[in-house]
Amino acid sequence: MKLDPSFIWTAFVKLLSAVPTTLFITFVSVLGGLILGTAIALCRIYRVPVLGPISTGYVAFIRGTPMITHLFLVYFGLPAVVDGLSASLGWSFRSVSIPYIAFALVAFTITASAYMSEVVRSGLLAVNRGQLEAAHSIGMTTPQALRRIVFPQAFAAALPNLSNSFIGMLHGSTLAFTVSVVEINAKAQIVASTNWKFFEAYLAAAVIFWGLTVLIERLAGALEKRINVYNRGGVA
Amino acid sequence: MPGAKFDLAYVFDYFPKLLSTLNVTLTIVGLSIVLGLGVGFLVALPRLYKVPVLKRVSEVYVSFFRGTPILIQLFLIYYGLPEILKLANVDVTRTPVLVFVVLTYSLHAGAFMSEMIRAGVAAVDRGQVEAAYSVGMTGPQAFVRIVLPQALAISLPVFANLVIATLKDTSLAFSLGVMEMTGKAQTLITVGQHFVEAYLVLAIIYFVISFALERLFRLLERRLLRHEKTENADRKRFGRRGSPSLRGLLAESASLPKGGSGL
Amino acid sequence: MIKLSRITKHFGRQQVLRGIDLTARQGEVVAILGPSGSGKTTLLRCINYLERPSDGEVEIGGFKVDCKHPSKKEIQTLRRKSAMVFQHYNLFKHKTALENVMEGLVVVRKLPKDEARERSAKVLEKVGLGAKLDAYPSQLSGGQQQRVGIARALALEPEVILFDEPTSALDPELVGEVLEVIRRIAKEGITMIVVTHEMGFAREVANHVIFMDEGRIVEEGDPKEIFARPKEERTRQFLKRITPEASYSI
Repeated sequence: MKLDPSFIWTAFVKLLSAVPTTLFITFVSVLGGLILGTAIALCRIYRVPVLGPISTGYVAFIRGTPMITHLFLVYFGLPAVVDGLSASLGWSFRSVSIPYIAFALVAFTITASAYMSEVVRSGLLAVNRGQLEAAHSIGMTTPQALRRIVFPQAFAAALPNLSNSFIGMLHGSTLAFTVSVVEINAKAQIVASTNWKFFEAYLAAAVIFWGLTVLIERLAGALEKRINVYNRGGVA
Repeated sequence: MPGAKFDLAYVFDYFPKLLSTLNVTLTIVGLSIVLGLGVGFLVALPRLYKVPVLKRVSEVYVSFFRGTPILIQLFLIYYGLPEILKLANVDVTRTPVLVFVVLTYSLHAGAFMSEMIRAGVAAVDRGQVEAAYSVGMTGPQAFVRIVLPQALAISLPVFANLVIATLKDTSLAFSLGVMEMTGKAQTLITVGQHFVEAYLVLAIIYFVISFALERLFRLLERRLLRHEKTENADRKRFGRRGSPSLRGLLAESASLPKGGSGL
Repeated sequence: MIKLSRITKHFGRQQVLRGIDLTARQGEVVAILGPSGSGKTTLLRCINYLERPSDGEVEIGGFKVDCKHPSKKEIQTLRRKSAMVFQHYNLFKHKTALENVMEGLVVVRKLPKDEARERSAKVLEKVGLGAKLDAYPSQLSGGQQQRVGIARALALEPEVILFDEPTSALDPELVGEVLEVIRRIAKEGITMIVVTHEMGFAREVANHVIFMDEGRIVEEGDPKEIFARPKEERTRQFLKRITPEASYSI
């Protein structure tokens, strides 16, 4: 077995076909996580009875356990739940017809929701309480103040964390290979083992992930610069 | 795919079985953190002291190891390192897998550690070094006695996150066939088909360790930051004051995973 | 004795110091005055090499350093022969008042810990902080912190103590206690170079006053002389702006 530099390129091209799957998983889980996470964050901020403490426990548990355990628990636990439900409600739907990727999406959304709730929470925390008071002082209602004053500032503050979590989910999507979803990592495995060129295939996969990560960082950086214009301080 | 019916008895049965491999998991974590700290320092120094060429190398190193998934890195080093070493006529075919795993986690953690060290050092006020110089300390003395202890205290929360992230990342070592906890869980289920029980136990063990580590680090942090006691007390008083406001309600916790993808 | 000769300093293309000569004899208190941006703080920081002078010569206690090619060792020696009190105190945040004072004695002077502790406690006592030995900087007021800063410098028994606007970061009501301490140690015959905006203090305590503007020494001499009858127009204007009463005493 000899190092074959030209195969890195071959593998790279082959892997590109799996990029959409990786991005799809990432986007869906981040978006789902953001929605769920915001709800969780609000439950905790407003100390909603019952839901507040449950949210706290949920976030601690998800953040304290590896992402792969979430995936496996969903993959192996969800079918039983679905089948049980179907049977008791008389549906004809069976868990066998759930596509593999759905398990990954559900599991990763759960993972993302815990991290996103922390992103949202700390973003809101970063907004000075004086801002809310100032909004009230000019007669805004609380929802108005939140929407027009607090959220935009919170988003600006949360952006670096958001981009970090996004990258985390992008990298985490490689776990989907364990439930037979062919994303970049799984594709690399296939390309590697059919050609018996492991190093080259994974190198190509690494390059793709590296590129995507740098791209996300750049985009977040540019966005941050744009919305943080007001934050620059100084006199200029 | 649907396994056997959920049976609580298996949960109790699996606990000791999985715990028997805890030492492997903790060994990987421990070694990786210690080595990663070393790597982190080596990588951070050229950037802290702005050494021409080496600074650029450090940047690329950090970017790569932060920019690619740990799983890919595991495969890359496991398959790639032997081939590269073969070019130098070093045969590592008999080297245990665990070595590759620890190496990967160390290099991975090292990239995050170097960022942590950089941020920590940058957070120490320039006046501290000047004061150290003014009493006659040398550069290394000022760094070791004045900057480092303060930087470490500042970095502790990030370090805690990194340790916990590494712990969780070790769950991927099974993909190279290492018998740590997650690998063990997989062998258990092939025997009994009790998937959910096995992974539930697995998750609980990880959670308990993460939780304990977090508590431990928080205690340590409180100790290391005791010189800022009064400031913290003041801040808390401010947070609790008055009617429930957004900031007040949020003030107590909310520490984010500032380093490590940690998923 | 401290002697600076022909000190110049550039920041990029900008020349901040344009050839400064300054001498402070043993036990003398030299006050450096001047508008902000005149280069007085830079000059002070050149003495212990927190800023690297572009050219000139620094001499402390018979040890002379050519600023063009100083070795690390020479810089080290200059710093060991001097001590500095900073505008923003710069106390070591992770150390108590006592440890702050001990640090230089133990690490630089290599004193045994017990001896260093004893000496440090004594000096802290002298600046009126005998009851605050174990307090961290964050638990002290600005005035107390600055007194620890003075104690830290004093304990090293340097040839000269450099004061960089020691009271300008303090709340007005805390200025008095710090000036009082400096006044007291000035009487003990410790050589001091003080950059300050406190005109009253300079007039009362300094033996020699230097007025700087745009990187040059505009005027220098006996404080009573300079405050009463400034020869240069720029000095006159500065004094008028800073201390309105000065115009009456003419």
